[in-house]
Amino acid sequence: MVAAGLVMGLIAGFVMHRADYCVAGMFRDIFLFGRLGMMRFLILQVVGTMLLFELARLFGLLPLYPFPMLSPPSLANLLAGTLFGLGMVMAGGCVFGTLYKMGAGSVISAVAFLGLVLGSGLYALIHPWWSDLSRVTTLVAGHVTLPQLLDISPTIFVLLLGVPALFLFFRWQRQGLWQRGVVVAGYLQPWKSAVILALLGLLSYVLIGMPLGATTTFAKVAAMLTEIVAAQAVADSSFFQAIALDLRHPFSNARLWGGPGPQVDTILAIQLPIIVGIVLGSTLSALLLREFNICFKLPPRQLVGAMAGGLLMGLAARMTPGCNIWHLMGGLPVMAMQSLLFLLGLFPGAWLGGKIIKTMVRLPART
Amino acid sequence: MKKRMDKKQKNIEIDMRGQVCPSTMLVALEAINKYGDELHGGMEQLCILTDNREATNTIPDIAVNMGYAVQVDRQDSFYRITLSCAE
Repeated sequence: MVAAGLVMGLIAGFVMHRADYCVAGMFRDIFLFGRLGMMRFLILQVVGTMLLFELARLFGLLPLYPFPMLSPPSLANLLAGTLFGLGMVMAGGCVFGTLYKMGAGSVISAVAFLGLVLGSGLYALIHPWWSDLSRVTTLVAGHVTLPQLLDISPTIFVLLLGVPALFLFFRWQRQGLWQRGVVVAGYLQPWKSAVILALLGLLSYVLIGMPLGATTTFAKVAAMLTEIVAAQAVADSSFFQAIALDLRHPFSNARLWGGPGPQVDTILAIQLPIIVGIVLGSTLSALLLREFNICFKLPPRQLVGAMAGGLLMGLAARMTPGCNIWHLMGGLPVMAMQSLLFLLGLFPGAWLGGKIIKTMVRLPART
Repeated sequence: MKKRMDKKQKNIEIDMRGQVCPSTMLVALEAINKYGDELHGGMEQLCILTDNREATNTIPDIAVNMGYAVQVDRQDSFYRITLSCAE
């Protein structure tokens, strides 16, 4: 499991760096520059993942369906999505974006990473009332996905969405919109990155029982650090004591269990290698291109913004719960209503983030 | 962030390395706005140093649309984007 996670992370980090596959940027640039172009690749990835998951399900490869750690939809998902969207734009990258940019030497992203860990831990303070709010704003109890709610086979849904999407993709192909003319060394066309990430999502789901995710581990790291100075606070926290996952994988009979607490569990064994892999995969890519570079001379307001953005994103990732990769490349392809609400929330968040990031950037005065 | 004007070459140089995305694009737009007359008149050219791989695609895209000639050169571990008056 650890080796598989590390290899998947390395590949993901490498291809994301080569294609500069920045999901935060895709959402942000719709509002900031009126550019929809990069969103095309995200749509390809989501639809591709949806088709792959459904095929795998029909072949009996996904006994855990929908996958664990998804809940019925709640308005809390929408609010958390908005906060997440704001945070990812201020931080200059989503959770995976922050990891791959940090891997290539970005100090801004390293600061955002610290914010992520801090925000994930601080969530413990608001967990009791936030989980109450989440419960009372639950929209349809007992149903996780749209096909479950409507009692329709997921195949029908996938065909209804997938077939028109494929027509659209062929149209974009005819218009030559998949290829970007780029001058940087070692560029990977983002459509290739989208396909590779969709395949990695499938691989993760089939091998581990869940798609790619990372953020519970940030809370775990925060819990481990807090335990050093205030063990009692961790022991008393309902959030850190919670168990989010406890089941046996029907194929391997492996026990999958864990939660955001400081213990070493399956969640840590799944996610930590993915996190480390993404950072190292990107470092490797940057070193091979001789583009690895650490730059410390940065405007203080950007460092503050990145820290605040990381913190918001960490908080929101626990409030949802889950990050954009988990929801857009895992939950959305199985039509989890929670993920749909999270996606809707990302748009106003990214719009607001675009407004704020403009104030973080200044053209220097002429000397 | 530093900027200097080289009188001999008439360069406005802006170093955006390491800055948060999409600073390079935002600053490029602001600089084009501010120094548009000098750039279009051919008196000066705008040089932006960046390590943002995406900016080497988006800035030329937009600058060419605005009627500038754009050149992207690799330098050590970063890129130099030069905007000048189109011939």
